[in-house]
Amino acid sequence: MRKLAFFIPFVLFIGLSVFLFSGLFSDPMARESSVLNKPLPAFSLPDLQQPDNLWTAEKLKGKPYLLNVWGTWCVTCNAELAYLTELREQGVMIIGLYYQQPSDAAFGEVFNLTALQQEVKLKLEQQGDPYQWNILDKDRTLIFDLGVTGAPETFLIDTKGMIRYHHIGDINPQVWQQKLAAAYQSLQE
Amino acid sequence: MKTFFLSFLWFSLLFAATAQASQALIEFQSPEQQALFKELTQELRCPKCQNQNIADSNAVVAVDMRNKTLELVQQGQDKEQVLDYMKSRYGDFVHYQPPLNKFTLILWLLPALMAFGLVLVLLLRRRAERSGAVTESAEQAVPQPQLEQQLDQLIEQYRRKS
Repeated sequence: MRKLAFFIPFVLFIGLSVFLFSGLFSDPMARESSVLNKPLPAFSLPDLQQPDNLWTAEKLKGKPYLLNVWGTWCVTCNAELAYLTELREQGVMIIGLYYQQPSDAAFGEVFNLTALQQEVKLKLEQQGDPYQWNILDKDRTLIFDLGVTGAPETFLIDTKGMIRYHHIGDINPQVWQQKLAAAYQSLQE
Repeated sequence: MKTFFLSFLWFSLLFAATAQASQALIEFQSPEQQALFKELTQELRCPKCQNQNIADSNAVVAVDMRNKTLELVQQGQDKEQVLDYMKSRYGDFVHYQPPLNKFTLILWLLPALMAFGLVLVLLLRRRAERSGAVTESAEQAVPQPQLEQQLDQLIEQYRRKS
């Protein structure tokens, strides 16, 4: 009994060390998505380049696709454009959900659609255009309903409009291979 | 010099105006709603930032959540409804009070377990002390003459040395 008690601090120490050590490699941004395996929330939002064209959750059903939340102001999004364009060339359907945020709201910046369209066009010409089209979420309503914390984030949507995967952060070859490729392929059939 | 001073004054006025414009004043229908809004923005956690509540953060998502909270509070929704609304989008993470479920059970169990362990250790110690006292008195149970004999021997040794 005495000898056993002698080892208690040592066991506690080992336990604490393992706990703290594993903490070094955990991702503090990683968390369970609460929209997983739920249908895409209802929305009605304009096409970025053709604002007369309204997109709804219903209209997007039929093919599995990636819904990529991005913005020209977002550096990481710009970095993933090239790889997403590669994926598009391989036949992956990617729809952009444009995350509009005023760069300086405190100084009364007014939303200017024409300027934004120009900016997006230029950016996609320069970096590659992975998108079939872009949906403009000016007031971030769908973005809010999807539980998006920032850009870039990507959702994998199946043929019935169900959210099958929610990825926070950029998509690069490693992420695609490890997390999304298999899921996307399985939805194809 | 005078024109410089005037233009300086004019510019500072300009900035004062914009600074005021960015601090929107919120009007509530009742003090209860105001209190609820304050409570909620302090209990809701910004999903983008590390350990800031949404009252504290100016991240876009925190601003959006604040506006949504305000909208729902002004619609007359109660605390639970607003929390459910946020949790259904951003998960349990978003509330600073974790719910009791299988993942968080250890948070509630650990203090109880530690208290139990402490009591156990104290009880064991007391028992060990009591049995220790018994052995000590057993040592004292060496018969008196024998002890005196030992003492005499020691004194004898000491004398011879000096």
